[in-house]
Amino acid sequence: MAIYVLRRVLNMIPILIGVSVIIFFVFAMTPGDFVDSNQKLTPERQAELRALYGLDKPVLERYFIWMGNVLQGDFGYSMQHQIPVTSLLNQYLWNSFMIAVATLFLTWTIALFIGVFSAVRQHSWFDALVTLGVFATMSFPSFFLGLLLIKFFAVDLHWLPVGGMISTGSQTTGWAYVWEVAKHMILPVIVLTVLGVGSLTRYFRTNMLDVIRQDFVRTARAKGLKEKVVVYKHALRNALLPAITLLAFELPGLFAGAIITEKIFNWPGVGQIHMQALEIRDYPVLMGLTMLLSMLTIVGNLLADIMYGVADPRVRIK
Amino acid sequence: MYKGWKTTASLLVASTLLLSACSTETEETATPVDLKNSSSEVTLASDMSKNPEAAKKRNDTFIAGMSSPQGVFNPYFYHNGWDGNVTSVLFGSLVDVDKSGKYIPSLAEKWVLSDNQLTYTFTLKKGLKFSDGSPLTADDVAFTLTMLHDKTYDGETDVSQVQIKGGQDYKEGKATSISGIEVIDPLNIKITTEKVNALSLQILGGPVLSKAYYGKNYSPGNLDHLRTLHGAPVGAGPYKLEKYIPGQEVRTKANEHYFAGKPAIENFIYKVTTSDTNLQLFQTGETDYDGFTANPDNFEQLKSLGFANINVMTSSAYSYLDVNHKRHLKDKNVRQALMYGIDRKQIVDATFRGYGEVANEPISPISWAFTPDINPYDFNQQKAKELLDAAGWKAGADGIREKDGQKLKLTLLTRKGNDALITIAKQNLQDIGIVLEVEVMDFNAMLDKMEKGDYDLSSVSTPGMVDPAESAQNFLSTIADNGYNNPAIDQLILQGQSTLDIDKRKPIYQKLFKELNEDVPSIFLWYRKSMTAHNGRIQGLEPNAYTGIIGDLPKLKIQ
Repeated sequence: MAIYVLRRVLNMIPILIGVSVIIFFVFAMTPGDFVDSNQKLTPERQAELRALYGLDKPVLERYFIWMGNVLQGDFGYSMQHQIPVTSLLNQYLWNSFMIAVATLFLTWTIALFIGVFSAVRQHSWFDALVTLGVFATMSFPSFFLGLLLIKFFAVDLHWLPVGGMISTGSQTTGWAYVWEVAKHMILPVIVLTVLGVGSLTRYFRTNMLDVIRQDFVRTARAKGLKEKVVVYKHALRNALLPAITLLAFELPGLFAGAIITEKIFNWPGVGQIHMQALEIRDYPVLMGLTMLLSMLTIVGNLLADIMYGVADPRVRIK
Repeated sequence: MYKGWKTTASLLVASTLLLSACSTETEETATPVDLKNSSSEVTLASDMSKNPEAAKKRNDTFIAGMSSPQGVFNPYFYHNGWDGNVTSVLFGSLVDVDKSGKYIPSLAEKWVLSDNQLTYTFTLKKGLKFSDGSPLTADDVAFTLTMLHDKTYDGETDVSQVQIKGGQDYKEGKATSISGIEVIDPLNIKITTEKVNALSLQILGGPVLSKAYYGKNYSPGNLDHLRTLHGAPVGAGPYKLEKYIPGQEVRTKANEHYFAGKPAIENFIYKVTTSDTNLQLFQTGETDYDGFTANPDNFEQLKSLGFANINVMTSSAYSYLDVNHKRHLKDKNVRQALMYGIDRKQIVDATFRGYGEVANEPISPISWAFTPDINPYDFNQQKAKELLDAAGWKAGADGIREKDGQKLKLTLLTRKGNDALITIAKQNLQDIGIVLEVEVMDFNAMLDKMEKGDYDLSSVSTPGMVDPAESAQNFLSTIADNGYNNPAIDQLILQGQSTLDIDKRKPIYQKLFKELNEDVPSIFLWYRKSMTAHNGRIQGLEPNAYTGIIGDLPKLKIQ
């Protein structure tokens, strides 16, 4: 097992290098560069700036400079924010993470319960209602739902804030601060949960239905076990196995930021930074963030395989 | 000094906040937008009792919405117009702009220009101090200008346009100081330039950096220490930075050392808002001021709030189709045919629903250099056809005009969100026998294609502009990279730049704009309006196109 993990970790290196080459060249090939975005500059000043930023060098050379710095742990400076990329991401990444973790927890809990119940009571009223609800929420555009909630809860009822992460000018500290942030999180988390819970519910329901029909479940029932034990001990455990893979794949999503929802709720997340960097061609930020997400995807993949092995002896690698 | 935006990404959003017009309080009550009377309209709050509790409770804080500050709070290093707004609040400059776009003294008591218009002598106000209490003297001004000449300076202020004597030598390392910058005494500084340029005053009279603070550890070629101070600015503006919370707020406190006295409102906060919900934030009293997309719906909604003072202003920028003069459009007749042949009025009405007007010259109607005495190019397809015939483009068998075996096909580059322009122009041009091929792309990609000359028309807007020279110089044959070259125009542009006397410049620019209107170097499209609103409890705020809210900030009061 240890050797397997080690081999997989070593395997990540060439994958990451390959990914970095592709991403770097795709960004470099996108027409226009950082200096272009300022219309007011004279061509001479533009040339000077390109030289200062190193944008006048051939792409290949730029790649190796970038790679060399990364190997020394230096992801470069954001061109527009003028602070190291790592500090910039540090400022925004955790805000997105907070929302994502809360959403993940809620989505999975709700989806698990509803999915299992509706599978056990397939073709019941409950199941039909859930199916309807699931498709309804899946087809909601996030901006519409977000604006609707803002209108009800913030503008009309004044129960919750319109947006942001804290009240403007707020000086709160300690638990008062935590409470304030939590209040601001409620609406964006609701939106993301409602949007995410639908497909996941369907997934759990289908898994559960598959398992319930299998022979070992019938055997369990034939042994005279109680229905509860059959469903929640024997069937559910097996139905959850494929979900491990899915869960591990959520890892990069925790840090990616939800662009539209963050924008509607003024949430200071990383999604906005990513979009801005793309528009302005802030290459170091683009590279840093994209590489981080690629790495998390690969790590997530690895975790999925390892956890699957731990949970299911049948696929354990010797 | 407010210096317009630095990035074009914020350009469109920014326009709602920053661009506006000289505010004359014309009406007490709301009226429908009147296109004939274009410059500005103020609608005052009708019922302050509707003011939300959240706003009423906040009696020492003014909260303004803005889009996306990035934390580079140094007027010479930011890359984003929002940071520019923040620095305007934190840093005072020698020279400011008034509501009609004319230069006025700010930190400077006065400035004197030599007879040959090459030497500027600035006299500072007495007793100036930075927000940390240290004195502001001519040495600080000298340091600021010297720093801009550093060879590692990579900000977007282009001091080389001023051509200070000895500046290039300093940049190249041939001199240890700049000979054209001469500190006479702590209150007086003399700057000698080598070229008369009407735009020099904007740069020379810009924000002042403290030599003691920013210049610590400075040696030529080494700005490293200075770069670490972007998040901890020290300036001489009305407010000083208290805290920057990335993506959320920029908190500032009244500066007790401000030359015009400590502002009456203790706290000023820029809060990050988006156009999706800035109206809701304003409505619930969480912000006191914001810019909104100018359209009838937003106007009606703001009006119905009762506590909003609404300003509708014409922007200092204009939009146009940049023309590639190296292909079919090098012929003036064809360009004029496009002006006549495209129903620009219909496009403007469809796009802005009353909050925009057709442009016929490259300067905003709010500028002192604007001239009404020009050809309005009213929609006239008959005339367009005649012009095309005269240019030798005759309709072929398929109705498309051709000349020398080539069909008259034009490529238009545009960004997303220009639907009215695309549909209407395409149809109009088809009617007069021109094929318009539209390519929709993002802004940097568009600029790249323009640089390569791979286009005929490209839909762009200027940034906000203070001086007409900023607009005019784009048509100078040495600067225009679209191939436009007209010696007569060049001469007028240089003439307009070569004096600083507005009375003398005015007739020159009016003549220039009249000729540009005739020569059609680009297809002029529109001036758009912006709409801002502020809570009625804020007294003394009259936002305008050139200084936004910043000009009024020091003297605001909360009722």
